[in-house]
Amino acid sequence: MTAVALLSGVARRYGPVAAVDGVDLELRAGEMLTVLGPSGCGKTTLLRLIAGLEAPDAGTIEIRGRRVAGPGASIPPERRRVGMVFQDHALFPHLTVAENVAYGLRRDPDRAVRVAELLDLVGLAADARQMPHRLSGGMAQRVAVARALAPKPDVILLDEPFSSLDAALRTQLRGDVREILRAAGASAILVTHDQDEALTLGDRMAVMVRGRILQVDAPEVVYGEPADPFVATFVGVANLVHGECRDGIATTRLGPVRLIGQARGHAGRALVVVRPEHLELAEAPDGPADGGAWRIIGRRFTGTEILLEVAAADGERLWSEAGPAGRHLRIGDAVRVVRRDVETVAFATGRPIPGPVPADAEATDTEATDADGGAVRVTGVPSGPPAGAGSSRDRTDPGRST
Amino acid sequence: MTAAAGRLGAGALRGRVVAPRPPLRLVVVGLAIGLLAITPLAYLVVRALDVEAGALELLARPRTLSVVGGTVLLAGLVAFGTVAIGAPLAWLTTRTDLPGRRAWATLAVVPLAIPSYVTAFAFVAAFGPRGALQGMLEPFGVTRLPEVYGLAGAALVLTLAAYPYVLLATRAALLRSDPSIEEAARLLGDRRRDVLRRVTVPILLPAIAAGGLLAVLYALSDFGAVSLLQFDSLARAIHVQYRASFDRSLAAVLALLLVGLALAVALVEGRIRRRAAAFAVGGLRRPAATVALGPWRWPAIAFCASVVALALVVPVATVTVWLVRGLAQGAQIDVVVEDAVATFGVAAAAALAAVVLAVPVAVLAARHPSTVSRTVGRLVDIGYGLPGIVVALAVVFLATRVVPVLYQTLILLVLVYAIRFLPLASGTLRGTLVGLGTRFEEAGRTLGDSPAVAFRRVTVPLLRPALVAGGALVFLTVAKELPMALLLGPIGFTTLATEIWDAASAGFYARAAGPAAILLVLSAATVALLVRAEDRSR
Repeated sequence: MTAVALLSGVARRYGPVAAVDGVDLELRAGEMLTVLGPSGCGKTTLLRLIAGLEAPDAGTIEIRGRRVAGPGASIPPERRRVGMVFQDHALFPHLTVAENVAYGLRRDPDRAVRVAELLDLVGLAADARQMPHRLSGGMAQRVAVARALAPKPDVILLDEPFSSLDAALRTQLRGDVREILRAAGASAILVTHDQDEALTLGDRMAVMVRGRILQVDAPEVVYGEPADPFVATFVGVANLVHGECRDGIATTRLGPVRLIGQARGHAGRALVVVRPEHLELAEAPDGPADGGAWRIIGRRFTGTEILLEVAAADGERLWSEAGPAGRHLRIGDAVRVVRRDVETVAFATGRPIPGPVPADAEATDTEATDADGGAVRVTGVPSGPPAGAGSSRDRTDPGRST
Repeated sequence: MTAAAGRLGAGALRGRVVAPRPPLRLVVVGLAIGLLAITPLAYLVVRALDVEAGALELLARPRTLSVVGGTVLLAGLVAFGTVAIGAPLAWLTTRTDLPGRRAWATLAVVPLAIPSYVTAFAFVAAFGPRGALQGMLEPFGVTRLPEVYGLAGAALVLTLAAYPYVLLATRAALLRSDPSIEEAARLLGDRRRDVLRRVTVPILLPAIAAGGLLAVLYALSDFGAVSLLQFDSLARAIHVQYRASFDRSLAAVLALLLVGLALAVALVEGRIRRRAAAFAVGGLRRPAATVALGPWRWPAIAFCASVVALALVVPVATVTVWLVRGLAQGAQIDVVVEDAVATFGVAAAAALAAVVLAVPVAVLAARHPSTVSRTVGRLVDIGYGLPGIVVALAVVFLATRVVPVLYQTLILLVLVYAIRFLPLASGTLRGTLVGLGTRFEEAGRTLGDSPAVAFRRVTVPLLRPALVAGGALVFLTVAKELPMALLLGPIGFTTLATEIWDAASAGFYARAAGPAAILLVLSAATVALLVRAEDRSR
């Protein structure tokens, strides 16, 4: 695993705002690295820094071992061997599809062959002579990918490449583009605010907030072992429940939970990440007398699962899968919360919970109230779908389990 | 009219928008206005068809050929000059760190509103044989300056009057073009200057060409500047022919020739403009990176300063100099006041009439999109696009033959103005009507108004800003109009424009300076109005 691109301590400020704030990131050969972050988190700036369209204020960027930005080096974009697929495609409006793809192949004697090869790869051989304004969004997208691939760049950067397409087309193109890039053996970084995209497309994914990268790991690791409470609630739906850790076990109001990863070494109070799929609900016919201290206050169908929101008498709320017994439960019913046998992570309390500064109306609702052992609720917009904070807009499957 | 109404029904069904069938009265009024707008053209065709000697024979005369050749040459020079000035100015004021680029852009657009004959007068009065510059240089033994008359002078003055068309079109294209397209070219291996050559210029080309062709149309239609600078372009030749000869058929043939040229240019321009629209790709916009000019900013500033100096400072300064001289020599201010009153009276009447006539046209276009409304819109646009001298000539023919009672009356002049400049008012009106929709009127209907009453009580008050703006634009345009005032005005009737033309032609520069100063002020008002309209439409 050699690093195709290596960023060390890269920073870029716009006036008082640190768009990129000390980022270390490694892109490995042949991999697709997705960068997930809310809008305004600096992910586009990150790409523009790698491409050379912006210069970093601090840090270094290396591509294939060559320093392209940083002290003593400032390679202009045209000599970086970096390809980019822009959010709005940015096809040259005065050139045909084939001429667009051939643009970066000026000095290549075999460019006709290469163009034909790429048009085949993206399935547009029949449209070589079309002008860009006649193309559909999906076709323009493929041309943009082919154009970026044509000069065989070391790195391909994709800036929210699917955000301008409608939902059905987006899902199809995601798969297509991933296949195309894999067939070309490209090393790629894709930035997105859509967690489905980041989870499904990435060999590895990075979570970026306020100019910082919080975690880089395989998508299932980011989901299963989030590095901090923000990542836990940003990627998927998570309840953060107070617990007491000892010997790899956290004791919570839901009972003992086995811990994995670094959390096994914790001792003392912690926030335990409990996903809805870690829980299911059972009827409590006799109400509180039956241990049914929870009451159903909300219900959402995610397309694959029914999620129910329950509240305890002390005000704590949880999202839980309905489970086999829970299908006929109604809002207002008293229930018991049953913990499935799972392993999860916990974060020692006593430090502030990081969260994004709300950049827009959909930003995270972080109410880090801590009572005496009561739950801290970091996620969820009560009236909206039980989506991870800040990314609910494009979520199609918030109840995903990995 | 029953046939028209029948066709209307079919048109309404074919139209993409299911629009309520327009009231018959509205259709009749709209079609009448549209037909009036192209009556001059239609009459000219008829007139040219029964030329006794045969129109073709007239066309083949050496005099005709040399005039056409000269006109084409002038148009070519103006196209070249306006692109050479307008396109670099647009790039400098949008994409570079040129000091004061906003101010340069504003100053460079102002000449668009200055009538060409004022600039021409200024050049003659400044650089001509008895002009200000020669007067100043005489003590040093300079008795002759390079000739301002003829092709060179006409091309220079028209270039200085029309380059803002290229500037505006190119600026708009630069501002709406997506900078990621240029970034993509960098990432595909182009250096900055390669990007300019391979991407930026080709993308801008349709806009530059469209602007250049508008400048060509301006040059073809211009009457004032070529007359004062004594260059025989078609527009001037038409006038000379009309004045000089008893047989006015040649004038009619020349006029048709000019219409044909202008029409061809307009068609190409429309085509290129659609292409430019296809190049205006959408998407997320980030401001384009500014190019640091470095030491090049000095030649850049010198370039902008020379353009503004020639196109703006020379007219203003010359007019001021001659105004002061005239006042010192005891110029007759009352004559100027008389001209101003006459001009403003006609302009105000024309503006009022244009606004009244524009309402049905705009309502038809905004509320009842159909073949009929589109036809009416096209007809009034054609009328607006005809060169002023052509319209003037045709109306003279028509009035003397058909309605001699109206010939050389102010009523006819005002009516012709109102119909010709109606698109200036109907455009803004239509936009406002589309924006308002019908919901306010519908609210009025539910509260007991009939359609007509609701329109009057609800929509008309809401339209007032657009009515005022459109009327003001017509007023300012009419106040500066020359050829129609010259040919259609009653005997002895002078406006500010005809006064400048008369005085400057005869070499009375001081007499021309007063009216010219007033028109310069009006030009500034025109620009302010247009800038405000543009700001509001954003």
